[in-house]
Amino acid sequence: MKFINKIAIVIVLATIVSVSCKPDRIEDMGGKRDFLQSINGTWKLTKATQVDEDAAKKGFPYQQLDITNLFPYTNFVLTLNVASGAPTTFTTNPGTSPKIIKLAGGSWTVDNITTPKNIYLVNGAATDTITLGGYPVGAATTLKLSKEKRDKTTGKLLISYSYEFAKQ
Amino acid sequence: MKQLLYLLIFTLLGFGAVAQNPSFSPASFTAEDEITITIDVTGTGMAGVTDAYLWIFSNPGLGGGADGITNGNWTNSSNAAKLTPAGTNKFTYKFTGTTMFGQTPAQLKSFGFLLKKKDGSAQTPDYKPYFFDPLIFVPSLTRIFPAKVDVDDVVSVNFDKQYAVTINDQRMAPTTFTITMYDDLNNTVSSPVTLPLRKTDVTIWSGSFIPNISFTPAVARKLLKFTYRFNGTVLDINGSPMTVSSADTEVIFTPMK
Repeated sequence: MKFINKIAIVIVLATIVSVSCKPDRIEDMGGKRDFLQSINGTWKLTKATQVDEDAAKKGFPYQQLDITNLFPYTNFVLTLNVASGAPTTFTTNPGTSPKIIKLAGGSWTVDNITTPKNIYLVNGAATDTITLGGYPVGAATTLKLSKEKRDKTTGKLLISYSYEFAKQ
Repeated sequence: MKQLLYLLIFTLLGFGAVAQNPSFSPASFTAEDEITITIDVTGTGMAGVTDAYLWIFSNPGLGGGADGITNGNWTNSSNAAKLTPAGTNKFTYKFTGTTMFGQTPAQLKSFGFLLKKKDGSAQTPDYKPYFFDPLIFVPSLTRIFPAKVDVDDVVSVNFDKQYAVTINDQRMAPTTFTITMYDDLNNTVSSPVTLPLRKTDVTIWSGSFIPNISFTPAVARKLLKFTYRFNGTVLDINGSPMTVSSADTEVIFTPMK
C-alpha cells in the first residue's frame, strides 16, 4: 500500500513539475522597440540594387547590379504615416526617379503590427506590396525595402530589387 | 463619325493580332522543367483530326540530337505520344526535356516537333527550333542583365569584346547601343533609340534603359520584344574612324508579376 502511495506521489509531483515548466520567452535586450513607429516618417532613397535571382540560384556570374546611379533613383521619396500605433496613409514622390512604387498615395497596412515584414499599399483597387528588409531601430538608421518579381505563369522568382532609404 | 472610325480601326487591329502558335507554359524553360505545349493545327495537314501524336526531336540542325522516347515508329506512333485534345484543332502535351530525350541539360540545346496521325498518313510542318534556357553559364559577346526582363525592369545590355569573333567586333571601340522595340503585332514601336555606353570592365561595355520609359506602345498594344546592337568606330586603311555596328540580338519580354 505504501509502495502504491509513493508511486502516486511521484506521479503527481512529476505532473505538477511538467505542467509548471514553460519555455522562457526570449525578449529583446534593453527597452522595448516599436518597429512600426520606427518606419514612420519621410524617407529618401539612397541605394538601389537589382538582383538576377535566377542567376544567383544557378550560381552564374553577374548576379547583381548597383543601379543607384544608372537612373535618378535618389530623387524618390516615400512617406509612411503611423498614428495611434497603426499604419494610416502613405505618399510617394518619385521626382525624376523611376517609379519604384507605382501608387502616388493611399493607405497602408502590414502583415504583423509588432514585427511587420510585408507592407501592403492600397489606393482603391490598385495595390502594391513591398517587403521590409531591415528596421531602422537602434544603431541601424536605414530603412530597407525590397520588391520581388516572379514569372507570371510559374511564379518562379526571377528578379528582386533592394532599396535603402535615409530618414529626412 | 470619328468614334465609329476609331471603333473600326481597333476592330481591324484586333483581327490582325496573331497569337503565338505553338505556345509554351512556362514561356521559358530549362531542360529540367516540365513544359506544356499547346498547338493549333488549323490550316495544316492535321486540321480536323481528333487524334494527334507527337513526333519530337532534340537539337535540330545542331548535331547531337535524339528522338523523343515516346515517338515510336513513324507508321505506328506509341500511345504515350498521343496529345490531349483542347478544343477544335487544338492539342496539348506535357513533357520534360531530359526525360523525353534521355539527354543531360548540357547536351540539350533545343528541340523541334510535329504532330502526325498514328499511322503517319498526315502531319503538320516542323515546328522548330525552341531553345532551352541554359543551366550552365555560357559567356557570349552580348548579353543582358538580368537574363530575363519585363517591360518595367532596368535592362542592361553588355558587350564583352573578349568573345568577339568578327574583325569589326574585335576592333570596335563601342560608344553607343541602339534599341529597336516591337509590339505584340510585331510592329516597331516609335523610332529606334540610341543611348551611350559606359566601360564597366577591361573588355566590357554596358548601357542601360527601362523599356516602358523609353518606348510607349500604341493604344491597346503592348511591348513584346526588342533587339539591340552596339555601335562604335574602327579605323579604316587611311587611319580615319569608320562607324560600325554589331549584329542585332533579340530579347523577348518575360511577363512578371
